Parts: sequence; structure tokens; C-alpha cells
Amino acid sequence: MFRELLGGLRTTMRAMTTKPVTIQYPEEQRTVPPRHRGRHILHRYDNGLEKCIGCELCAGACPVGCIYVQAAENDPQHPVSPGERYAVRYEINLMRCIYCGYCAEACPTEAITLGPRLDLSDYKRERLVATKDDLLEAWPGFRPLSQGAGEGTGSPAPQPTPLGAGSEHRGPAGRAPGLNPPIPVRPDEGRGTPPV
Amino acid sequence: MAAVEAPGELLRVTIDDRQVEVAPGSLVWDACEKAGVYVPVYCAHKKLEPVAVCRMCLVEIEGMPKLQPACATRVSQGMQIRTATDQVRDFRRGNLEFLLLNHPLDCPVCDRGGECDLQDFTQRYGPGRTRSAITDKVHFDKAVRLSDRILLDQERCILCWRCVRYYEEVTGEREIVLQERGVHTLVDTFEHRELQSEFQGNLPEICPVGALTHAQYRFRARPWDLRRTASVCPKCSYGCNIFIDAREEQIARFASNDNPDVDDSWLCDRGRYSFPELNRTERVLNPEARLGGGRQPVAHSEALARAAGALLRVRGDHGAGAVGFLCSPQVTNEEGFLLQWLARQVVGSPHLDHRLEPLPELSPEQFRLGIAELEERDAVVVLGDAPERSAPVLTLRLFKTETKRRRRVLRVPLGTPAASLLEPLQGCRSVGVVAHQEQRSEAVALSRSLAGAGLSSSVLTLVEGMNARGCQDLGVSPAVLPGYQPAAEPGMHGRAILEAAAAGSIKALVLLSPDPEWERDPAFEAALSEVEALIVVTPWLGLASRQATVLFPGRTVAEKAGTVTSTEGRVQRVRTALQPRFPFPPDLRVLGELGGALGTPLGVQPLAGPVFSLIAEAVPPYRGTQGGLRADWGAPA
Repeated sequence: MFRELLGGLRTTMRAMTTKPVTIQYPEEQRTVPPRHRGRHILHRYDNGLEKCIGCELCAGACPVGCIYVQAAENDPQHPVSPGERYAVRYEINLMRCIYCGYCAEACPTEAITLGPRLDLSDYKRERLVATKDDLLEAWPGFRPLSQGAGEGTGSPAPQPTPLGAGSEHRGPAGRAPGLNPPIPVRPDEGRGTPPV
Repeated sequence: MAAVEAPGELLRVTIDDRQVEVAPGSLVWDACEKAGVYVPVYCAHKKLEPVAVCRMCLVEIEGMPKLQPACATRVSQGMQIRTATDQVRDFRRGNLEFLLLNHPLDCPVCDRGGECDLQDFTQRYGPGRTRSAITDKVHFDKAVRLSDRILLDQERCILCWRCVRYYEEVTGEREIVLQERGVHTLVDTFEHRELQSEFQGNLPEICPVGALTHAQYRFRARPWDLRRTASVCPKCSYGCNIFIDAREEQIARFASNDNPDVDDSWLCDRGRYSFPELNRTERVLNPEARLGGGRQPVAHSEALARAAGALLRVRGDHGAGAVGFLCSPQVTNEEGFLLQWLARQVVGSPHLDHRLEPLPELSPEQFRLGIAELEERDAVVVLGDAPERSAPVLTLRLFKTETKRRRRVLRVPLGTPAASLLEPLQGCRSVGVVAHQEQRSEAVALSRSLAGAGLSSSVLTLVEGMNARGCQDLGVSPAVLPGYQPAAEPGMHGRAILEAAAAGSIKALVLLSPDPEWERDPAFEAALSEVEALIVVTPWLGLASRQATVLFPGRTVAEKAGTVTSTEGRVQRVRTALQPRFPFPPDLRVLGELGGALGTPLGVQPLAGPVFSLIAEAVPPYRGTQGGLRADWGAPA
């Protein structure tokens, strides 16, 4: 009996000397794999135009019907996306989404991808319907289209973390404003590898 | 060993080992359809003559060295047709490869994406990937505004000529032409003029690709977003069959639903683009009643009790003749019939109408002729500009009667004596007379004198308002009871009711879906401000809803179920395409329950089906017609 007791204690002692597997979430974030299918991101081209053309193929491919798109015609003077058509409303019901990635697969312009964000919880259901403002990728020269050209640099709308940013953990002091601290991605591949 | 063909004898043909019998003169395409063998087509269209330009429908026919176009080849006795051979498959694949060479492939932004024949056939028969190394395609203009209704994307066009032929054969207006040659061929309007036609809305529908699109539907929805409901066009009394395509309880478009006996698959722009008014969101959303000083939202049951109380009070104080009933011709047959029941049986008032202007001397004789029967007449006499005014799609039918059926169509001014028509009608045995309802007496007189001259003649009267014909058949008018039985004591017509209300002899007014146009009428305003009790069932905010003592939220034509009767007497269904934004009972139920609250229960459920059986009992010609048949009013007296 004594021997068994010692054996159990040995396991306890061993655990005391190894590094813990738990982290101080949410202050600390776990590194996610580069192809992690978390919350969606709507991308932009380098010139700031949205890649999304509002074609609704993502909504058509979605097996649970959680995507709503309303398209509209681009104003040629102030285009939102290249071409004739853009998405004036783009909403994803994150509670219904099953994160299968079919939307990204269906997208003809690679406008939507699934990102690293996995902390999808909230106190209000309404807030879990992600709108275009939530989903759209930040762009360094971003200025809301409602402001005319040449006006002051409007502060970017609250944006999801650009992928690949901040690959080391940040403590509470370095936490970004809002609910969501940056989520690290394994730096090796990033998301840049285009699908073949 | 050619078999001798008796005229009218059916021809036996074999298609991919399936045997069918078709009438002589049929196209191979028709035979394939009958055999259940699908043949892809672009240029061929059921309502247009064959041209065989797209070469998509080529099939193998035994004994012929080359592939033959199914859309333009007539069948012969014992023909052996094969559509599934390697040669046919190869040819389709090659043909699609050519079509796609210069196609911009902008399907994601194309309004046709999802219901496009080029997409579908490429998916089904196409090569899957391109073999060509050509990187710059021939580019043309995109989104050319042909009019405020139609946009043309010249790059997407596959040159099937359907639009050109439509303008040539169906409307006769020839507004679209093919220009240039070879790879530079493009479709455009003649000298880049704006389209003037009243039937432009049919162009995007016959276009097999996304070249011609509706400006109004541009980027509104994808076909898979739409919920499709078969219904009837609410704009006029002609009764064109439509599909209401709705996205999220908003109508995105009206599409045609081919009924060869009525619309022949064409709609007019007046009707097709009339739906935005049904999408208006400023609506009556609650039952309301005047309590004390102002009007307040109340429960449906309380609104009913108050409406019944007001009517009983007026009837007790001033007699049943102090209550007037008015509806617009936008009500269904069932609603009209219940309003008539409410007025005559429940309240006991003869003052009831579905329009403001008087309409004396109604009889089924004014409606003897059917729309499809026009084509069978040797000649058609059109009085004045009735079709252009009241039923634009009828002008297409008249054009077809004249050009394809080679009948005489005489357009005569009003007041033409029958004697002067006898000469142009020489040699005709049967004649149809088309007139607006205002000229109904003239048309009937003309028809009678033509009949006196030995011609078989009947009249088609065009009434004003979606279900005006149903309202007349079912006695929603002061002088006739259901089935054109003369009323024992005729009541006042619409305008007289309003004047009597303004003068104070009508104390209570019941309005069912009043026409918003009436609000411009000073008599309407005067009546509404003078009347003691005003009970209104309406979907729209306006004078009537503001003045009402008791107000019920009504439903639009797109939100209710029932039947309507077209001007030729065809009883067709309207179906619920949209759910209203309020949870209160439909108009029909309000009428039925109001009768119950007044002390006369309806006896059946106030739903469209049971009420229609009441109608069929009261008006025998309506028996069994609700599947889209014409009510048979018997032979001329």
C-alpha cells in the first residue's frame, strides 16, 4: 500500500517540475495554425478597394445559410470595389456558422477567408452577427467613403487584427483596445500562400 | 416505300430509341420535347419563328449527312433522330467553346448568374476549361442604358437574335438591330436611340444570357435568394399570369408565367414594373379605433366590436339605407362577395359599389368573347384605343392575330356605324368586337347589327381595375345582384354614395381597400369628413386611414390569397407571395367576422376556399372555375 502511495506522489512531483500546459487566457493567446478556420476576414486590394464584389456565391455555397449579402452598383467616381458591383451589406451570423470554409472556397475574388480569431463569445446575440465593419480588413490608407477625398485622415474603423501581426505573446498592458487581443499565428507560413 | 400521309395524320418518329407521334409540320425540337429528350437551344423560342443561328440544337438525323438544327427541321414520317451520339456531343462542346471565346465570364457580377443558359449548358455540355491562348477578348461596352428600364451588356451577348426577332415578330416595333459583321457584330438600338416600346421588360426574359437586364432588378438579388409565387398581375384587368419573385418579404421582380390563353408569355412594362408600390413600408400596422378624443391602437376583437357597434347604432337611428359600402377593384372575388353579403344580407343596405362612376346596363353579353378566341375570328373590330389604354398586352395579341394568323384587324373610331363596316368585313363569317367598358353599349349595339347582317359576332369589353370584372359578376355594384340578377331596389352608385354622405343622408361608410386615387377627389374628402362612422380596411396610410373611426390593417394584392376574374371572365388565383408586417387577420376574415359581430354568422370559415364555394352556389357560372377557367355565362340570348 505504501508503495502505491509513493508511486502516486511521484506523479505529482513530476507534474510540479514540468512546464504548465495552461496559459493565462485571454491575456495570453495560443498560437494558431496558419490555416486555422476562425472568424472570417474580408480582404482588400493594395489600393484599398474591397475584393468583395457582392456576388453572393459565398451565401449560395454556405451549407447553413448564415451569410447575407446585399449588392449594389458602384459609383464610378467613388468605387468601393473594382467593377460594377459591390456588397453594400455583408453579414455573417457567427452563431450559426460552422466554420467549414466553403465561403472562402466559393469566392471568385478571394475576398473572404477564415482567419485566426477563435474567441467568439459575447454577452449579446446581436453582436455575434458580424457586419462588414467587423469583417473588413484594415488598410493603411483607409478612409471611410463618406468623407470626401482630401479630407482629414479618418481613423480606421475598428478592425480585426491583421494576420501575422504580433507573433509574440503580449501581456495585459500591451493589449489592443476592445475585447480581442491580437491572436498570434505561427510565423512560418502566414496566410499568404495562395491556394493552388 | 414512302407512306402516303393523310392530312392531319400523326407522324411516328424515333428519338434516341423513344417513339413518339407528332402532328405534321412539327419541328424536331417539339418532337424531342414530347419524347422527353432535352435539346439545348439559344436562338429558338417557343413564341418566335425558327432561325437556326446558334447551332446549339444540332442533332443527328438518319439519312442526312450532316447534323441538322432541331429547332428548324420539320419532322417526317419514320424519322430517326439521335441526340446523344459522340458527334452531337462533340459539336455542342465545340460550339460552347466558340461562344465562350469572347464571353467576358463576369458571371459573379452578372444579374443572370444562376439562371443563365450559357452557364447551364456549359456546365452540362461544355468543355470545362479553355484550350485557347487568346488573352485579350473582343471588348464591347458594358451596361449600356438602352432606356430607363433596360441595360445592355454587349460583351455578354451571344448573338441569338431573340431580341431582334421579338421586336420584329411580337411587337412589330423593330427597335433593336444587329450591327457590324463577324466578330464585331453587336446588338444595339437603331442609331443608338432610346427604347420607346411599352414591352421592353420582356427583353431580359427572352435573352438567354445576361446581355439584356432590368435596370430595376440590377444587383437586387440572386435567383437562389428569390421565393417564387404564381399569381396575377395587379395592374389591369387583363389577367396576365405572373410569378412574384420576392426576397425577404420585398418583391424583387415580376416575371411572366406563360398562359397561352391570356398573355402568351408577354407582359407590359406598366404591369411588370408596377411592384414598387406594393413594397411600400409606410403601412397601416394596427387595428385602431377612435376612443374619446383621439384614435388609439386596439385589439382586433375590440376593433371588430366597435365597428359592429357603430354600424348597429347608425342602422338603429337612421335605418339600413344610411350605410354605404365601397371597395376598389383591387379586392378579390371572395372579399367582394363578402362585402356584398355584408351590405345586402347583414346590414340590409343596397348602397354598394366597386367604383365611383356609375355603370348602368351591365350584362354578361358584354363579355362573351375570350382573349384567345380573337385569333380564331375572321376579323376583329377594335373601337377607339381601348387596348392601348386599358390592356397593353392585348395589342400584342392583336398584332399576332393580324400578322401570324392573317386575320383582319380593323381599328375604327368611336361612333362608326355598323353599315360602314360591312364592306371591309366582306367575306368574313365571324367577327369579334373589342371595346373599352365606357363604350360597352356601343360595342354591343355594333355586334348586334353585325349579327343581324349574318355574321357571328361577340364582344370583349375591357374593364378598368384588376378585379372589376369579378366585382361586376358578383354583384358588387348597386343595380345588379350576384350573377347579373337585377336588384329589386337599386342602390346608389359610388359617387352618389359619397355625395349622400357629404349631404348627411349616408351616416356610416364601410371602405374596403379604397383606391388611393380617390383621395384626389373632393367628393371623397367631403364624404369622409362628414360621415358619422367610417370603417376602413386598407393597407395604405392616407386620407381614409386618417379619418377612420375604426381602422383595420389591410393586405395588398401580393399578401392575400383568393381568386380574381380577368376582363374575359377567367377566374384565376392570386396567392400569398409576401407575409404582411403585422399579425392581424386578412381582409376576408375581417368581413366575415364583422358579419358575425353584427348578428349574422357567415356559416363557413372566412377563408378563400369556403367562400368560393358560397360564390359558386350563388353564381352558377363560377362553379369549378377557380383553376383558371373562364366562367361560362351561356349562349347569347
